[in-house]
Amino acid sequence: MTAVLERLLRPGGRRRSPSDFFAHADRLRREGRYPEAATLVASGLALDPNSVTGHLLAAYLHVAQRTIEPAKREFRWVLGRDASHPRALLGLARIALEEGDLVGCRECLGSALRAYPDFPEASAVLDALAAPPTTATPTTAPPRLERLRLPGAARALVLVDAQGRALVELPAAEDGGPRLPRIAGLASAALKRAGFGALRRAIIDDREQTHFLRADGVHTLALAMPRTTPIPQGLLEVNRLWGAAQHELAVARDEAPVPPPGSIRRVS
Amino acid sequence: MSKLRLALDLEGTSRGRQVRDIVESLGRLHWVRGALVVSPDGFVIASEVPRAVAVEPLAALAATLGRDLEVGASRMGHGAFQTALFSADDGTVFLAASRIGFVVALAEPQANLQSLRGALSEAVTLIEAAWAPAEVAPAG
Repeated sequence: MTAVLERLLRPGGRRRSPSDFFAHADRLRREGRYPEAATLVASGLALDPNSVTGHLLAAYLHVAQRTIEPAKREFRWVLGRDASHPRALLGLARIALEEGDLVGCRECLGSALRAYPDFPEASAVLDALAAPPTTATPTTAPPRLERLRLPGAARALVLVDAQGRALVELPAAEDGGPRLPRIAGLASAALKRAGFGALRRAIIDDREQTHFLRADGVHTLALAMPRTTPIPQGLLEVNRLWGAAQHELAVARDEAPVPPPGSIRRVS
Repeated sequence: MSKLRLALDLEGTSRGRQVRDIVESLGRLHWVRGALVVSPDGFVIASEVPRAVAVEPLAALAATLGRDLEVGASRMGHGAFQTALFSADDGTVFLAASRIGFVVALAEPQANLQSLRGALSEAVTLIEAAWAPAEVAPAG
C-alpha cells in the first residue's frame, strides 16, 4: 500500500531519491506530523542506509515521539560517522539530561561547543546547567531545618540549596533534591532569554499534583499539593513555608560555629 | 495532480495553518508578548516572539525543561506533566505539553495567570483534536 502511495505521489512520475524523501519528511516534521515523517525517513534510509541526514532526521523524529532509546541509537550512529556533529551531540546531551546524567550532558555540550563555538542552543542549555558563580564547593554540612513541617493537605516538601543539597525533604523518599535545582536552572535560563529575569515562583501541574515553587537563586522550595488544591491556597502555603524557611536559615547561619583563626585564609 | 495528493497537501496546509493560528491567537492575548510551539527535540514549529528574543535558544531551553518535567512526573508516578508557569520580576513563561511538543507563551507581569493557563489548555486541546490519530468507532 505504501509503495502504491509512493508511486502515486512521485512528482512527475520520476523515481524519488532519498533526498526527496528526507525533504518531504522534514516538511511534515515542521507540521508536527511525526509518524508520517518517520515513514518517509524509513523509505529514504531504505534507499540510502548511510545517509547522515536520514539518520539525524530519524533521531529527531524519535525524540519528537518520545521514543528515547531508538533516538539515542540514531544520534550515536551519526556520531560514529562524524564525532563532532553538533546536532547529534546536542540531541544526546538533552537525552543525558533527561536521564539525570549531568556529567554526560555537559561533556556532549562541551564537545559540540569546542567544534562549533557559535551554537546558541548548546550554549543556552550549558549555561542553564552551569552552577551559579556564588556557589563554591561546599565545605560544611548543610543546615538541617528540623522545624519545617509538611502542611496537612500537602504531599511533599523539598528545600534545596544551590549545590542541590536537600535541606528539607518530606517525606524522605520523595527524591526531589537533584532535579529541583536543575528545573530551577532551566526555568531561570528560559526566563532570562525571554528578558524577564531570574526565577522567583512557579506552578507546575501534572495529572495528580500541583507543585508550587519559590526560588531566590540560592534556595529553591517546592511544595506538592493535590491537583484539586485551589491556586490561591497553594500560593499561600508555599509563601508561608518560604518565609519560615528563610527564618530557619537565618537562625542556622547565626548558630553556625565560627571557624578557628588558622583556617581563615588571608587575601593579600 | 491526483485527488489523493491534493487531499494530503490540503491536510498538511491546514495543520500547518492551524498551529500558526494557535500561536497567533495566543500572541494576541492581553499582556502576552509572544508564543511558540516547539517540538520535544527543540525544533521551532511556529513562533511569534519579539525581535529581541532569540527564538532557537529559548526553544531549546523550553523543550529541555518540558522533557525534564515530563520524564520526572512519569518517573515519580504523578501522571503526565500538563502545564507550568515560571515567573520572574519582569514576566512569566507558560509551558504546556501537547502531542506534537510544547506550547510556550511569554507574558507580562500584569497578565492574568488563571486566564492564560486556560488559554494554554485550550491551545493544547486544539492541537490534540487536530493531531489525534483517527479513532476507530467501536463495533455494534
